[in-house]
Amino acid sequence: MKFPFLKEAITSLTKKPSTELYPLVKKEAPEGYRGRIKFHADKCINCGMCIRVCAPDAITRTIEKTEEGDKITFQFYLGQCTFCQMCADFCAKKAIELTKDYSMVGTDEEDFMVRGTFIKKLPPKPPVPPAGAAPAAAKAPAAAPAATEKPAEKAEDKKEEK
Amino acid sequence: MFKKLIEKGIEKSPWLLHINTGSCNGCDIELVSVITPRYDAERMGFKLAGTPRHADIVVVSGPITSQSKERLVRTLAQVPDPKVVVSIGSCPRSCNVFHGSYSVEGPLDRYCDVDVSIAGCPPKPEAIIDGLAKAVEILKTKRRGK
Amino acid sequence: MNNILQFLFYILIFPGFAFCVVAGLLIAGIDRKLVARMQKRIGPPILQPTYDFLKLLGKETIIPRHAARKVYLAAPVVGLLSLVTVSLFIPIFNFSIFDKPVADLIVIIYLLTIPGVALIIGGSASGSPYAGVGISREMVAILSYELPLVIVLLTIGRKVGMALDGNITFSLKAIVDYQAQYGPMIAQWSMIPAAIALLLVIPCKVGSLPFDIAEAEIEICEGPLVEYSGPPLGIFKLNHAIKMFIMTSLFVTLFLSGAGTNFVALNVLIQFALAVVVTFISISVLKAITARLRVEQTFKFYWTYPTALALLSLVLVWLGL
Repeated sequence: MKFPFLKEAITSLTKKPSTELYPLVKKEAPEGYRGRIKFHADKCINCGMCIRVCAPDAITRTIEKTEEGDKITFQFYLGQCTFCQMCADFCAKKAIELTKDYSMVGTDEEDFMVRGTFIKKLPPKPPVPPAGAAPAAAKAPAAAPAATEKPAEKAEDKKEEK
Repeated sequence: MFKKLIEKGIEKSPWLLHINTGSCNGCDIELVSVITPRYDAERMGFKLAGTPRHADIVVVSGPITSQSKERLVRTLAQVPDPKVVVSIGSCPRSCNVFHGSYSVEGPLDRYCDVDVSIAGCPPKPEAIIDGLAKAVEILKTKRRGK
Repeated sequence: MNNILQFLFYILIFPGFAFCVVAGLLIAGIDRKLVARMQKRIGPPILQPTYDFLKLLGKETIIPRHAARKVYLAAPVVGLLSLVTVSLFIPIFNFSIFDKPVADLIVIIYLLTIPGVALIIGGSASGSPYAGVGISREMVAILSYELPLVIVLLTIGRKVGMALDGNITFSLKAIVDYQAQYGPMIAQWSMIPAAIALLLVIPCKVGSLPFDIAEAEIEICEGPLVEYSGPPLGIFKLNHAIKMFIMTSLFVTLFLSGAGTNFVALNVLIQFALAVVVTFISISVLKAITARLRVEQTFKFYWTYPTALALLSLVLVWLGL
């Protein structure tokens, strides 16, 4: 009868156990760990690439019109996120960052929402052209038929040559 | 006086039951690794029970597929009171990447009240230990409120 | 009147109910802690089986629809009562509740099978197919270890009997007196194979790896206990812990006993310490390093090696050595 690991079992009685005392001694995740999402709302330009790239559709955007511009809210639902980091990779302004915080425990939905709001001002509209543009408009249609006749002649020449 | 002893017993010895309703096994591997010597959860009294009748905390992983829906409901009904349901990973919370599929029956909220959720895909074993510690506190309030 | 009070004290407190419960839960806790340390991890605290038992008292009892109700609830209690009765018969060094020698070895042999039978009856009263598989395995386990156990007990009886009056004796008190005179039984070289055989029988009786085919945890959903919950399950787990204490205490009385000191409390402590050592050697070490054997492998193992060792001792003792 063979008893495997008998010597290791008896000598382990005298050595220190190799357990990490987790709740008493906190531990840091390694470099590059993809944990809780952090959204820097001041860097976002509302291009929507993150929503397009997100595989489980965890990002939603709501727009509210106010007098200053558009109030845009991005909401990241951590209960649907798969932590693949595609949104952070594709963000042009590096507004999304995945931190090293790994302990995400909650009892209802609000614990898992990460939101960020910013206000996007539209650029000012270009000025309306003045009334003196009517003669310029009359000249333009006269020049236009002349311009269209010339390419038509050129096309016929080319066909005869062929 | 007797009630205090029983409460101390519930705090120090919760038994887990693990139900997998069609997950990719990532969360299951992380849950089983909590029992290994490195993150030893047995020092807090956790033990994997073999049958639903022996369990206090039910840990569910995976989006609920059509085939496992009936079995999940029947198994949850066999767990004696007081009990706590913990959903591990983001699949039971909202079906993760599988939402809208023809064979996935939706988040766990539709079938029972979920007391604690642990987010992550898969969550780290330390996060699982945090979630289970929170579940034990909720179990104590359930027992006291009886 | 005095006698009745004294017997009530024996039955309820000292070698009876309260002593068994406390000692059994402590030995089960020490065993779990030792197994954990051997596997290089911090284990549960030593009072963990006590917390398990208290928690189970607070859960609700669910009785399945197809179960035989009265038998289902009475089976664990029968097991507990028989274990407490066995504990009354075991002498602790020079303290015993009987004054004259009685034939208590035979009583112990058949009282020790009752907890196993209570498990079988409780399992079959549940009405679940998993329990059916579990009880057939428990029957095979009982069949396997009864043979070497009875041979070892007969060998010890014969050895002590030859020194007394030439015939076999069946009294535990006589065995303890013999050891007080000639030294512990394990020091006689013809009894060493019998001691090894009994050390190998103890894990199967107690239900611990590698021979725990009856209460196989994950394999058949805990076997006969599959439908139990709440206080009846608590009493079954208590039976399991008390069985550990009774078997190791019996081993200490049969092989390592002696004259002892004059104080009963000190004798009890020495018996408990020796029982812990026996637990470590026969239960904990095997539990930490082995996996579970199959049903037919267990049966074949018990009817070859421990039986051969016990028969060797029996032949040596009968020849007068």
